[in-house]
Amino acid sequence: MKKTLFLIVLLTLGLNSCTKEVIIDIPGYEEQLVIDGRIEQNSPPFVLLSKSQDIYAPTDLQAYLATFVKGAKVTVSNGIKTVVLDEICSDNLPPGSEVLLENLFGIPASELANVNFCAYTTFDMDIWGEIDKTYTLKVEVGGQTYNAVTEIVPKVDLNTLFWKTDSGLSQYGFGWANLTDPPNQFNGYFMEVKRINMVNGEEKDNLYEPIFNPANNDEFFDGTTFDFGYTNPQSYSDATVPDNVKGYYKLGDTVAVRFSSLDRDAHRFLYDKYIQLTNGGNPFAVPTNVKSNIKGGALGAWLGYSVNWDTLVCAP
Amino acid sequence: MRFTTIFLLTVLLSFSVNSQSDSTHYKVSLSGYLTSVIDGEALIGAKAYIPSMGIGALTNNYGFYSLNVPKGKYLIEFRATGLDKTVMEVELFENRQLDVEIGDKTLNIEEVIVNAKKGENIESTKMGQIQLEVEKIKTLPAFFGEVDVIKTIQLLPGVNSATEGGQGFYVRGGGPDQNLVLLDEAVVYNAAHLFGFFSVFNVDAIKSVNLTKGGMPANFGGRMSSVLEVTMNEGNNKRFGVKGGLGLISSRITVEGPIKKGKGSFIASARRTYIDVIMKAAIPDDSPFAGSSYFFYDFNFKANYRLSPKDKLFVAGYYGKDKFIFGNKEDDFTVRMPWGNGIGSIRWNRIISSKLFMNVTGTFTDYLFAFGSDQDEFSFELKSGIRDYSGKVDFSYFPNTLHKIKWGAEYINHTFVPSSVTAQQNDVVFDTGLAQKLRSHESAVYVLDEFDLNEKIKLNVGLRYSMYQFTGPFTRYIKTDLSNPDSTIVYKKGDIIQSYDGFEPRIGGRLMLNKTSSIKAAYTYHYQYVHLTSLSAVSLPTDIWFPTTDIAKPQQGYQATLGYFKNFKNDKWETSVEAYYKGLKNLIEYKDGAQPSDNVSDNTDNLLTFGTGRSYGIEFFIKRNIGKLTGWIGYTLAKTERKFAEINDGNYFPSKYDRRHDVSVVGSYKLNDRWTFGAAFIYATGSTLTLPESYYIQNQDLLFKYGDRNSTRMAPYHRLDLSATLFDKPMKTITNENGDEVEVKKRFRSNWSFSIYNVYNRANPFFLYVDNDGSVFEGDFQVKVKQVTLFPIIPSVTWNFEF
Repeated sequence: MKKTLFLIVLLTLGLNSCTKEVIIDIPGYEEQLVIDGRIEQNSPPFVLLSKSQDIYAPTDLQAYLATFVKGAKVTVSNGIKTVVLDEICSDNLPPGSEVLLENLFGIPASELANVNFCAYTTFDMDIWGEIDKTYTLKVEVGGQTYNAVTEIVPKVDLNTLFWKTDSGLSQYGFGWANLTDPPNQFNGYFMEVKRINMVNGEEKDNLYEPIFNPANNDEFFDGTTFDFGYTNPQSYSDATVPDNVKGYYKLGDTVAVRFSSLDRDAHRFLYDKYIQLTNGGNPFAVPTNVKSNIKGGALGAWLGYSVNWDTLVCAP
Repeated sequence: MRFTTIFLLTVLLSFSVNSQSDSTHYKVSLSGYLTSVIDGEALIGAKAYIPSMGIGALTNNYGFYSLNVPKGKYLIEFRATGLDKTVMEVELFENRQLDVEIGDKTLNIEEVIVNAKKGENIESTKMGQIQLEVEKIKTLPAFFGEVDVIKTIQLLPGVNSATEGGQGFYVRGGGPDQNLVLLDEAVVYNAAHLFGFFSVFNVDAIKSVNLTKGGMPANFGGRMSSVLEVTMNEGNNKRFGVKGGLGLISSRITVEGPIKKGKGSFIASARRTYIDVIMKAAIPDDSPFAGSSYFFYDFNFKANYRLSPKDKLFVAGYYGKDKFIFGNKEDDFTVRMPWGNGIGSIRWNRIISSKLFMNVTGTFTDYLFAFGSDQDEFSFELKSGIRDYSGKVDFSYFPNTLHKIKWGAEYINHTFVPSSVTAQQNDVVFDTGLAQKLRSHESAVYVLDEFDLNEKIKLNVGLRYSMYQFTGPFTRYIKTDLSNPDSTIVYKKGDIIQSYDGFEPRIGGRLMLNKTSSIKAAYTYHYQYVHLTSLSAVSLPTDIWFPTTDIAKPQQGYQATLGYFKNFKNDKWETSVEAYYKGLKNLIEYKDGAQPSDNVSDNTDNLLTFGTGRSYGIEFFIKRNIGKLTGWIGYTLAKTERKFAEINDGNYFPSKYDRRHDVSVVGSYKLNDRWTFGAAFIYATGSTLTLPESYYIQNQDLLFKYGDRNSTRMAPYHRLDLSATLFDKPMKTITNENGDEVEVKKRFRSNWSFSIYNVYNRANPFFLYVDNDGSVFEGDFQVKVKQVTLFPIIPSVTWNFEF
């Protein structure tokens, strides 16, 4: 909403406003550790460590890779068992793990071998995610210790998924879902989608992407049953999709949906994160630092997802 | 109720004063109204002067003066700027009311200006006060073809611009809410139209503009930093007239005339921009943005009637509306931002006796800002508004030449809706809580005396006492820890939830060093009960006004000023140096990470945090009043900081309004009867904002970590504007009855006004943001700091007329 307002004002001033790159002094940079950790049911905990960068730091690939941190001791506990995670580096992956790690790193498997950075995870299934358990993370690196706690809350499933064509179009429409929110408790949700219909021998979308405004809590709909619509985030960057149908799902798309439930702190992190991403630094908002659930002075978060997987077939 | 008692006491006091006989029975009073012979307008700041005694009196906002002298016969001069003086021989053996019309415009401007204001800046105790003449404002460069009062104010030292295009103005480090803006004594909350490019003041309807930035006298209160008094013209009470202007972006028209010739008059002005027409033409029909438009219109109206020689009635009003629509047909997405401002006042002046003048005023203000959007079947609306009703009574008492006493009382009834949100999708209405209305009562009483202690020292000593009650109906949400639902306290109608009160001493003094120079000092203390909170680095209409509550306490603070004033060459040059220091507390900011959507099912003030501030600076001012070239140079060196426990770890941080250096050079050059040129140059240190000091990657997304509040400074702002006005010939040749050719003054006058805003096209920063683009793996990843500039060079042309 606010980004639109920002664009609107610029448009009104129309031809008169102009933007240029400048270099000005931004004081106060201090390098901080970034902990990007996640765990979900039936999946291993996965932690990436990196360092925050100065705004004017170089941005080539080598500089980017140099930001990742190795040699840390990362420990996860579920209250019963405590496991020290293994450091796994991309140029030395255990065979068979490429596809799993591709999604976690966000880098296509074919590229992984060409870069060199490390992450922390484990194949010890005793510490893999389980619903209704609380997971404590401890990261020790560079003489500092950082702690965080997250819970994989009870799963909330979407009732149904359906697709409706939009006004005047016979082949395009938004995706829809029906949800019953559990009453009288906090529920935080996060939704991601990926089209899995095959195109040229590959799934249409490589990775899951969050829908527009993906993180919501039930402050306004506690205990109610309602329908909500969602856009197709992948179509905006797809040059083959005509402008007037960007954001829609096409008749025949099969959409894999990850509908996750979160605890309060994890939801807060994702909520703040997407507000910051949507605002994009426009002047109509207080600059928001994303609230981390990590203690000790690190950025990032330790997030527990309780995932409901579902599929939508776009047919009338 | 406390207020009623105080009001009654005030009225009783005034009557007892009236019935008291003169303490020195050989002195008598001469008082009355001074008006212009041309159009009957009451003259503000005109002078009734007795050269043989060396004493004089200035007229107040209604044109009323009062002199107290021993019985006798006197030659009295009545002078006003731009008019030839009127000299009369007057016999004074008893109290007498004498209304005088002051003479025609002469062609010798030099002499006239000296007569009117001679030495006023040295003699008066008023410091930090500047009066702007509307005729002068009209020769300065215009913006988008509109000469603007607020933009001119921003050219004075001590007044910063609120960033280009922003609403409001900053005085000595205070925020836009700290300025009391009055239009004919009615409070104006938002003095700018949407987006802040144009103020609500139409120059054709305005008579005078007076800014007080320090030493605020006790008859004003409720704001900490300044008082901007804008007085409308009353209308020509001798004959009908029309004036107006046609420009590229906007046009205006004013009609004025008598109501029963000589007894009353009216003036009505209207103005409209047609940016929407231009946008409609410029945006092609097949563009996704077709259907977007912005325009505003406003009306000013004033009428006055002389009920009796002693009674005058005024009615005035302002109504303005902005409409902004942004449409994107394909996405079936529209945004509406309606903005409206309605202000009305009714006033009654009464001359109770030759020494006692009374003014009773009732005003009404209704301000509304809304933001709404529709997408498919989902609609959303955010509204913010204020409704005030107020009444006040003011007395001016002139017991003798040494004292000028004023006292009065004021009451305002506030209703605020800081933000009300509704959202709906088809038939499902989302529960966003009821719109919260905040109700309160604000009142004050004051007394002040301006008197001569001796030949060299004049003092203005006043005391103001203000009170405030926050009342129900109201629901307070108590935020407990996250695991429990909020609890609420419900207050019923009439419940007093919280009250505040305080004394506000106001003291100022002037020491004459010699005939051409003086030293002045002032100390004032203030309470402020209404606040404007801004979410962003830029002042926007989305900034929300809200009142003092049980959580948001009144802002309070003091200002101490000291200045040296000196005139040269018989008042041709006025110079001054003024230093000030302000200490403020209970200032308001949004907590870090606050969002306007947080207002739902919560009270706005739960999102706020409170702290203190200090501002200090020194202002240098040189003004040339007489001659072909007039103008001024102002330089301010200032600092303003804030300290909030919840922001920046409790360390001092620069305020959003902090500008270390501020220079303005303004000039007006009258080449001849036809051509006048104007120029304005501004330089100011860049304003502050909060930019990210680092970025990091989480789940393949780039996120920013923002630095300390306002730790980054934008590039300096500087700009040159030029204007040229071509007047038509003032005389025309006609053949009279005798067949001779004579020159007479033309009834229909016109001029062409050309302006260039930002002559050398400087890209001044409006705001900055950090942008990221590209992908690391594709080798085109970049993080850049980008600066947005609002206005490049903008020429404009307006044709103005009058008959």
